[in-house]
Amino acid sequence: MAEIDDNLAQREAIEVDRSKGDFKYEESYAFDAGVGLNPGVVDYISQVKGEEPWIREFRQKALKIFDGLPMPTHWATTDLDNIKFEDIRYYLAKGQKAVRTWEEVPDDVKKTFERLGIPESERKFLAGVEAQFDSEAVYSRMKEELEKLGVIFCGPNEGLRDHPEIFRKWFGKVIPAGDNKFAALNSAVFSGGSFIYIPKGVKVAQPLQAYFRINAENFGQFERTLIIADEGSEVTYMEGCTAPKFETATLHSAVVELVALKGAKIQYVTVQNWSANVFNLVTKRGVAEEGAEVRWIDCNIGSRLTMKYPGVVLRGKGARGEVLSIALANDGQHQDTGAKMIHAADDTTSNIIAKSISVGAGRSTYRGLVHIPKTLKNCRNNTECDALLINEHSRTDTYPAISVRGQKNSVQHEASVSKVSAEQIFYMMQRGLSEGEAMSLAVNGFVNDLVKEFPMEYSVELKRLIELQMEGSVG
Amino acid sequence: MSTLTAPAGVLDAARQSADLAQTAGHAWFDALRRQGWADFQRLPMPTRDDEKWRFSDARSLSLDGYAPAPEPTEALVAALIARSHFVARPAALIVHVDGHCVLRPALSPELTAQGVRFETLSDALRHHPALLQEHLLKHGAGLGGAKFLALHQAWLRAGYVLFVPKGVEVRQPFVSVNWTSHDGAAVFPHALIVAGEHAVVSVQDYHLGATPDARALAISACDIHAGTGANVSRLAVQGWGSRTQSFQVDNTCGGRDALITSVNAAVGSRRARLENTVRIDGPGADVRLYGISVATGEQEFDQRTLQIHTAGQAKSDLLFKNALLGKARTIFSGLIKVAPDAQRTDAYQTNRNLLLSPDAEADSLPGLEIEANDVKCSHGATTGQVDENELFYLRARGIPLEVAQELLAQGFLEEVIAKVEDEEGAEALRGMLSAKFHQA
Amino acid sequence: MPDSLVIKNLNASIGERPILKDFCLTVPKGEVHAIMGPNGTGKSTLSKVLAGHPDYTVQSGSALLDGEEILGLEPDVVARAGLFLAFQYPSEIPGVTIANFIRAAIVARQAKGAPFDAKAYYAELYAKMDALKMDRKFTSRFVNEGFSGGEKKRCEILQLMMLKPKYAVLDETDSGLDIDALRIVSEGVNRMRGPDTGFLVITHYQRLLEYIVPDRVHIMWDGRIVHSGGKELALELEAKGYDWVKTELASA
Repeated sequence: MAEIDDNLAQREAIEVDRSKGDFKYEESYAFDAGVGLNPGVVDYISQVKGEEPWIREFRQKALKIFDGLPMPTHWATTDLDNIKFEDIRYYLAKGQKAVRTWEEVPDDVKKTFERLGIPESERKFLAGVEAQFDSEAVYSRMKEELEKLGVIFCGPNEGLRDHPEIFRKWFGKVIPAGDNKFAALNSAVFSGGSFIYIPKGVKVAQPLQAYFRINAENFGQFERTLIIADEGSEVTYMEGCTAPKFETATLHSAVVELVALKGAKIQYVTVQNWSANVFNLVTKRGVAEEGAEVRWIDCNIGSRLTMKYPGVVLRGKGARGEVLSIALANDGQHQDTGAKMIHAADDTTSNIIAKSISVGAGRSTYRGLVHIPKTLKNCRNNTECDALLINEHSRTDTYPAISVRGQKNSVQHEASVSKVSAEQIFYMMQRGLSEGEAMSLAVNGFVNDLVKEFPMEYSVELKRLIELQMEGSVG
Repeated sequence: MSTLTAPAGVLDAARQSADLAQTAGHAWFDALRRQGWADFQRLPMPTRDDEKWRFSDARSLSLDGYAPAPEPTEALVAALIARSHFVARPAALIVHVDGHCVLRPALSPELTAQGVRFETLSDALRHHPALLQEHLLKHGAGLGGAKFLALHQAWLRAGYVLFVPKGVEVRQPFVSVNWTSHDGAAVFPHALIVAGEHAVVSVQDYHLGATPDARALAISACDIHAGTGANVSRLAVQGWGSRTQSFQVDNTCGGRDALITSVNAAVGSRRARLENTVRIDGPGADVRLYGISVATGEQEFDQRTLQIHTAGQAKSDLLFKNALLGKARTIFSGLIKVAPDAQRTDAYQTNRNLLLSPDAEADSLPGLEIEANDVKCSHGATTGQVDENELFYLRARGIPLEVAQELLAQGFLEEVIAKVEDEEGAEALRGMLSAKFHQA
Repeated sequence: MPDSLVIKNLNASIGERPILKDFCLTVPKGEVHAIMGPNGTGKSTLSKVLAGHPDYTVQSGSALLDGEEILGLEPDVVARAGLFLAFQYPSEIPGVTIANFIRAAIVARQAKGAPFDAKAYYAELYAKMDALKMDRKFTSRFVNEGFSGGEKKRCEILQLMMLKPKYAVLDETDSGLDIDALRIVSEGVNRMRGPDTGFLVITHYQRLLEYIVPDRVHIMWDGRIVHSGGKELALELEAKGYDWVKTELASA
């Protein structure tokens, strides 16, 4: 029987093909907060945006918290110490307002988004699109019928200015500024993002969608998203992230808060494909009230370091929370992802399925938190983490923390580590597939049951991205 | 009137310094103990924010009010020796009370002739200094208990050394029993087990309180070195009195083709922390780590384990089971570490917790750090109540609810008890675990 | 009625779904009654309701065991009152040996603090295991864990023989048994027959009734008994099939 070449695993993993996102245009910015972070920068951002005093105070308070918190390197990677906060630009904008038709978007920005395929997608099936270029939304379009139903889809500035009665109540409540150092940073300098309100009983059939793009070097993007699904409503939100390659590291630090009121359902889908020098440090958390459901579908393929643990606070009886996560870490990448499930009411259930693939010297880490306190009963959690290691020095870590008390509560956590077997590859090659094709197929098989859960448009994209990543991995 | 001074405890430098005289005459050992004291002074007490102490009640840690205890009375010694016969025919038995050796092991002439040594630490210090110097406390406490191990090292003089030379097989277990009796006694028992190539050895360590509510500080440590092809099995029972704080730091090294089985049982202490590190240095090694506990009242059992695979083609399997009653808490934190070149490693880790009371809390931190790809590694953790269908089945046979629950809990624990090869040891363990259901 | 298990107008449901509908049946001591009926007609529900399973809700009706109401009692109290249920799907109890399990069940029936005669217990246990052709090693095996279908059913009958109930409900005891096992299990049951015990044998097939010959056969449909007769009814049902029940009996 033919032996599989033992050395194939040692060969270099390929460079990611970023044909879709790896391009940039020269931009001249009308507003530039300069380099570094201090109260003056925060005031500048607030002033440019014409914010009310309470928002400015919120930002300044958050900056103090940020300054006071240490880097979480006592548990997280020391790579965080390579972020030079003093070298980052915290606000860049062309002075544009979000425009409503594609024709109004400035040509150079339009070129960027055309390459990202936004108008095309929108024409095809998207209910609404919000695209963010560096700090500000440049294009926003929503189908008229949704507007008629009372759906609000705008940026944080508009949201807090025009609909304070809806958004102010929850803004910074699901994730307070003091939650962690990067949530504090975002709270101080946030700009752009999506504020969405779905009225009672409204079920938005098509996904709402956002694109985030970093175009400028040494730039930090700090968008802020708040989605409120009122009683009995349903919505799916999808975000895609890209950035061109820069010589120096770039920071993306978002805060995403979801509120699913009684009986509401929110599904939040992310496909993150930042270039490999982006520090992607994102805080995402949802609150699920009685009978509500919050579902995070999170896919991390790009970035240098991602730290992201989407969470659900199950606050109402019978609430459900779910995190489905796929991470792919190639050479030089660390995908530090996971999930948090905080049970805070009876009869709540949560489910976490996390799959990671480490290629070359890539490292993927799962961190999980499941908490069921003493006062509760009939709560359940199920967690599965599976790691696939492609090459000899690929790395994976799993660090769950599970705390259970109360009555008739049960949790189950399982994790496994495996590789694609040489037998499997040989079998497929015997059927005429190349090694790369066989490896892609095996990896796609590994994530298949999760990919199925993604909206169609994204699952196709995801499979393609995985194939691109896998092609060179076996030489 | 004369002023009463508090008796100088284990934190007293002068007393520690004076205690060094007890093991004088061995410069390296003296230096080891002094180093322990220096380390203890240097290292901070753990805090709640310390990742290695996550979930444990680090705030209530206190080492005040414990002191080395005086020699026990003859009557007490006789009574406790009588209670130390867990195994009818051990290879040899050694008994300590409050850190004083009260029964020296008597080895059969056959075993002595084969080169087997089973001696108190101080005897071994005189007879086999090289053996001690090679293995004693060679690995520190990497799981968070460094300060406590340093105090152990500073006060180290009680314990035993067991050496089974190359090719010698001893099937009968070597038994060591450590008792605390004196109120506020501080004890620091040490076990050093060295098995030569293809040696076979079985050990049972009992750590017990003379009275059920004995108050003590117990910081014990065990070093196990299993040579090529050696077969070492150990049962360690932590049954200190209910007002005891205990810390146990075990380090095990397994060489090529070594087979190591350890069962760590916990029933006693107010709070007990176990740190168990296994280093798998040779291919073909097979290490099985088991843990079992019944936690009641306000007990906290804090279990930290580390399986380090530096050599490939070796296997380790861990199973820790806890049954919790009352307001008890158990913490299981385990990590499997597979080094970059340890290909073809099989490593498993399972933690199962059975909550028998709504006020009990089980925390689980099962971890993996894998840096080689050709491995089979998995972990699983479950926490839950007794199975409703099983409960109904038992009750449908007329068994009352409480009895049915206890039966199911004992059934849950039986999987680990069955791993104790020595039937008498298993029976002793079964009895101690079972007794806890009735105290609770 | 003393010396009988009398079920009257029993209505029971699982969740919102009603299953037993005004179910009535009397099983006198010393008799073997069989209940036959298609799947989903409520046969197993009947056995679980009698045994006090918490998943079922009793809306109304009564079940008197020698004149004492057993509905609403805790399952272990029902069992000690004298009702034994041989499960269709016996639970696996890891870590609990058969010997300890049956012993616990016997101790639960003794007066509190009464001494337990271990010697007599094992003598009886072994004798009964021999009768059921069970290897004595089974005593140290964990209850039902890793047992084949036949071993599980034999273990149920062993418990029946050891606990000597006043009434035994055998729920589909023939399912999963090959012909040899069926014969052994039936012999065990037949050995228990006598004036002090009443049997309710629930089965889907006539086959079992060739070995355990019933005094009365009842046909169950949609939560109640729709037809009763002698042992020949089982043969008639076998010949005509359950469609006969559906078209003729149920509509009657």
